[in-house]
Amino acid sequence: MDRRKLESAALFLTIFGALLFMPPLTLLFQHEQRVLGAPIELVYLFAAWVALIVAARWLGHRLPREPGEGEPD
Amino acid sequence: MLPADLIVFTAIGYVGLLFVIAFLGDRRARLGRTGFLRSPFVYTLAISVYCTSWTFYGSVGSAARSGLEYLAIYMGPTIVFIGWWFLLRRLVRISHEQRITSIADLLSSRFGKSSRLAVLVTVIAVIGIAPYIALQLKAVTSSIQAIAGASGGGAVSSIEEVWLALGIAAGMAVFTILFGTRNVDAKEQHHGVVAAIAFEAIVKLAALVAIGLFVIAAGGGLEQIFAKAEAAGVDIYTTDDFGSRWVALNVLSAAAVLCLPRQFQITVVENSNESHLRTAGWAFPLYLLLMSLFTLPIALYGLVALPPGSNPDMFVLTVPLNAGQGGLALLAFIGGFSSATSMIIIESIALSIMVSNHIVMPLLLRATQGRGPARGQSVSALLLNARRFSILLILTLGFLYFYLTRNSGALAPIGLISFTGVAQFAPAILAALFWRSATLKGAIAGVSIGFVVWAWSSFLPSFGGSSPEVAALLAEGPWNIGWLRPEALFGLDGLDPLVHAMFWSLFLNATALVGVSLVTSQSPLELVQASAFVDVFRRGAGRSLQLVRGGATAADLFFVVSRVLGTDRAEALFQAEAQQLGVGRDELLPSAEFIDRLERELAGLIGAASAHVMLSKVVSGDDISLEEMMRMADETQQAIEYSQQLERTSSELRSTAAKLEAANAQLLALDQQKDDFLSQVSHEVRTPMTAIRAFSEILREDDIAPNDRQRMVETIHRESLRLTRLLDEILDLSALERGERSFEVGPIDAEQSLDSALVVCEALARQRGVTLRTRREPGRAEVTGEANRLTQVLINLVSNAIKYNSSAAPWVEVASRVVDGHHVIEVSDNGPGIAAEDAGRIFDKFYRGGGTGSGQSGAGLGLAISREIIASMSGTLSLVRREGGASFRISLPVAQATATTP
Repeated sequence: MDRRKLESAALFLTIFGALLFMPPLTLLFQHEQRVLGAPIELVYLFAAWVALIVAARWLGHRLPREPGEGEPD
Repeated sequence: MLPADLIVFTAIGYVGLLFVIAFLGDRRARLGRTGFLRSPFVYTLAISVYCTSWTFYGSVGSAARSGLEYLAIYMGPTIVFIGWWFLLRRLVRISHEQRITSIADLLSSRFGKSSRLAVLVTVIAVIGIAPYIALQLKAVTSSIQAIAGASGGGAVSSIEEVWLALGIAAGMAVFTILFGTRNVDAKEQHHGVVAAIAFEAIVKLAALVAIGLFVIAAGGGLEQIFAKAEAAGVDIYTTDDFGSRWVALNVLSAAAVLCLPRQFQITVVENSNESHLRTAGWAFPLYLLLMSLFTLPIALYGLVALPPGSNPDMFVLTVPLNAGQGGLALLAFIGGFSSATSMIIIESIALSIMVSNHIVMPLLLRATQGRGPARGQSVSALLLNARRFSILLILTLGFLYFYLTRNSGALAPIGLISFTGVAQFAPAILAALFWRSATLKGAIAGVSIGFVVWAWSSFLPSFGGSSPEVAALLAEGPWNIGWLRPEALFGLDGLDPLVHAMFWSLFLNATALVGVSLVTSQSPLELVQASAFVDVFRRGAGRSLQLVRGGATAADLFFVVSRVLGTDRAEALFQAEAQQLGVGRDELLPSAEFIDRLERELAGLIGAASAHVMLSKVVSGDDISLEEMMRMADETQQAIEYSQQLERTSSELRSTAAKLEAANAQLLALDQQKDDFLSQVSHEVRTPMTAIRAFSEILREDDIAPNDRQRMVETIHRESLRLTRLLDEILDLSALERGERSFEVGPIDAEQSLDSALVVCEALARQRGVTLRTRREPGRAEVTGEANRLTQVLINLVSNAIKYNSSAAPWVEVASRVVDGHHVIEVSDNGPGIAAEDAGRIFDKFYRGGGTGSGQSGAGLGLAISREIIASMSGTLSLVRREGGASFRISLPVAQATATTP
């Protein structure tokens, strides 16, 4: 992806992540139901969390480096 | 069982270990071996100072009381770090460029290096953080009491809660002073402390995970824990998790992870490399996830396994104690202690920097008329003392808050009061980073109103449990004014108190910020700083708008700078500048850039506002009519852009109009040509037609002599032939003009065509008494063309030359030769030549030389057709001489394969 698209992806990920943790999406999982022994809403929140972390890790080192940022370690 | 006295010694031993780590870290940093200390993972672990004992103990309590709510505290920061590219990166870059030392410094620097704003932010931060410090004291106190209660003896258990908390506060104060104020770094980076905090992050995570795993094992697996809790009557599917409170907590925690002084200190000020954010962007959310992974299982297990009435805030500790796991309980205690100490250390270091830079320093400057401390006193020593004093003050306030609210219940609500308090900086920070027109007055108005509303609706009600006056105020409102009730402002009751306080404080804060900014204007310095902040990624790195400054003598500057930075550093700076300019140290004339750099160096130590005040005293004529210059530059720029735009538009219009005009002229010319052509064709056709019609009418009568009849039929036949030939020629010409060739081209011998033409013309020449001469040099020349057509052209040229030669001794000469790869045939005569006005038009259709008039019979298409034929053979036909007889030249490229000259 080019620079513009990566930046757009980062912005999308941020907004999308915020939406994932908010009603009404969270309300979808408010059932009296259990997955892997835990309430489905808890499992959903952790699954969304993991997905965001994975996506952020994928994006993190692809976003363009600006002059003056300093060398990566 | 765990002896209570043991844990006190454990705590002291743990603190000693932290000391060793910090000491080693500092020593490594001083030796320049910062490799490990500056790794992105140490940075990320240090950011985890976000997880205090609120996380360690309070989250479990929160989960036991109100379900999933505890998670919201980590969702907000997760989103902020996932989006590091947009906010944190900007903050870090600006802070590096401007040498920002704290959140108060950031806002002050952005809004024109204002001391007033810095003081305001510092005061709010100190007050707003007091509940948070109290939370840590309460957590550590409760944890010691829980262990003492369980072991039922020892010296510790006999101490009263308040005294225990006071002892802890005092110990923390001493510890932090020893820890964080050993030296003053120019960049306010504390490598040793950061190393210790990173170590603590590992300890608290390990402890919490260990307890979590123990609980999972003891509870018989995750499924069993939830099943047993449900069986015991615990509502494991809390039904109203995602209401307004959930949203409010998300917003507050997102704001807090930016605005908490300790988070700002670690994330922004202690950042040694911007690219570390790339790692922290995912690793910090991962840390938060791991920290909250076992929270709910521990809470549910505690609710089931522990006797009813146990304090859920202490489940992390009491669950292993209850199970007789002394070692695990000790680990839990250390984890909780670790969370509390790291928070208190960093928070009080950050706050003490703010207090010393923004309150003590300006007071000192005012007392000494901006000259700084008296001669012989070092600013560094003074700053250190100010910081030590600030740490004492901060912990005292924390203890006071703890003392006044000691009857209140859970940990998490106390923390949320602080979150709401520091969130009041968030609108101003966002405006500082993204809104160029935000003004100082707007920022002060927003932050002040937000603070007042917070103090009234969130801070004050927290004393309701311990003070009857406050409780009455909550119920009735001040002077019985109902709509001023702290938890139901403007009659808005029925909302959760936290949501209520957050909504009103942030809403009024942002409204005031925007409203006041819109009606006030910026000072020149604000304009400069606004551009430096908002455009931080737009300009080339390090380039910033510069203030126009008057002169200052190097001696005056040195005097000021050396007393803040110390003589050695100041001398080094001045030497470097002199060396760069190539002048002697004593001849140095400080440039505006140099003064600017010195100011940034000072700002890194004492804050932007104080640095600006100090330097302004020795730099004369500060900010000379900058306002005027900026406005002029702005207007000029706009005018230039506008006129450039106009010019571009009008030149575009002009060129379009010219193109249209040309196209129109072309169309008109074509139209005219078509008309001319038609009228000429009609004219040419009409003459023979008239003759044919006249003779055929005569023939219809009977009394015509056979001789006459025969003559008339001959004439009709001749004229019909002429008509046919004319129409053939017109068709031929229009086909040639359209680029259609009715003949095939191939290699031909041009000389042979010339032979054929001469044979035809010789008879005509004899008949007219014209001498036909030839002067032919090449034997054979192959060109690409069609033999008959070439012959036709040559006949046309030669016969014209013969026919129109009115000379007394007429001759026509045909010459041919090969020149430069071209076969050239010239047909010359000694006739009347061609008039100058005709020369340009003889190749036009239907054009007949006007001068010679008499014996012309053709339609005037011959030359036009000839030229087209030659052009279709890639050659040229031209008039090369017109006076003293005409001369036409045909030039055809010689075919490549046989291009040889004999």
